[in-house]
Amino acid sequence: MTAQHADQLIDGYLARLRVAAIDLPSSVREELIEDMRAHIAEARAREAEETDATILNILDRLGDPELLVAEARQRPTPVPSRQSSAWPGLYQSGILEIGALVLLLFVWVIGVILLWLSPAWKTRDKVLGSIFSLGGYPGIFIIGGAFGHHFIGATLSGNSCTSSTDSTGNVPQACTSMPAWEMIGLILSVALVVIVWLLPVITSGYLALRLRGGRRAQGAIALTEAESR
Amino acid sequence: MALIREAPRYAYELIEALGKTGLLTTEGTLYPLLSRLRRDGLVKTEWRESTDGPPRRYYELTAEGRRALTAFKNEWTSFRGAVDGILQEGTKS
Repeated sequence: MTAQHADQLIDGYLARLRVAAIDLPSSVREELIEDMRAHIAEARAREAEETDATILNILDRLGDPELLVAEARQRPTPVPSRQSSAWPGLYQSGILEIGALVLLLFVWVIGVILLWLSPAWKTRDKVLGSIFSLGGYPGIFIIGGAFGHHFIGATLSGNSCTSSTDSTGNVPQACTSMPAWEMIGLILSVALVVIVWLLPVITSGYLALRLRGGRRAQGAIALTEAESR
Repeated sequence: MALIREAPRYAYELIEALGKTGLLTTEGTLYPLLSRLRRDGLVKTEWRESTDGPPRRYYELTAEGRRALTAFKNEWTSFRGAVDGILQEGTKS
C-alpha cells in the first residue's frame, strides 16, 4: 500500500502552518516551515511502509499548526520575569516615556535622549519631537536671548519716535502713530513668541497622543489575533 | 539543552530522546524552542549531509549556552531540594 495523498496531506499541513504564522516575522516563519519540512522528510524516511495513515500520524505528532505558531510567537527570551506582561511582545510604556515627555520641556538634552531610547515611538515622531520641542524652555530662553529680542526690537525701532534732550534735562518725546504695516509686524512677532512658547507643550502633548495611539493599534492587532483563533 | 551537551545532535534525534521520557507530546513545539535558543545565542546550528536521508540541521551548545545550562542545573537542584523538603515535611506530620 502506498500513500496516495501524501503530498496533498503534507502541503495542506504546511499551508495551514503558513496561514497561522502570517503575523510572525518572515525569517521566523520560513525557518519554522523549513524545520517542519525537514522533520516530515526525516519521519517518512524512517517508516518501513508508507500509507496515508502513517503520514497523518506524523502530522498529528507534530501538533496543530496553531499550537506551533503560538509557541513561536512567545517572547524571544524565555526569562519568567519578562513574561509578566499581559500581551506578550507588546511594549508597555512607563517611567521612561513620562520622563521623556517632562524633561523635553525642562532639561531638553536628557528628554531627547530618553525619547530616542524609548521603543514606544516611531522614528518619525522622535525626529518631530526632537525638533519642535525647540530645546525646551531653557533652550527658548537662549535662542530668544540671541534672536527673539533682536527681531521684536527691529520691528519696534521702526516707530517714528523722536527724542531729544533739552537744556533742563527733560526728555520730550514725540511719537507719530504707528503705520499699519508696522502694527501687523508687531502682532506677527507677538504671535511668533506665543507659538514658540506653546510649541514644546504641544510637541509633548503630540508625543503623548502618539504613544497612546501606538498602543491602541498594537492592542487592536493582538485582539484580531485572538479573534482569529 | 542537556541533550546536546556532549555532542551536536539533530532535531529528530532530540525528539526521539524526549519522546522516550514522555516529556514531549507535540513534537513540533520543539522547533520554535530550538529556534529561540538559537536567536538567543545559546545554541548554534549547522546543516550536515546524512547518508540515509535528507540533510539535517545539527544543534550544538555555544559557550553561553553551556553557562546557561549550568546556571539552570544549579537552580533546578536547589528548587528540587526545596520541594522535596516540603513534601517530606508533609509526610512526617
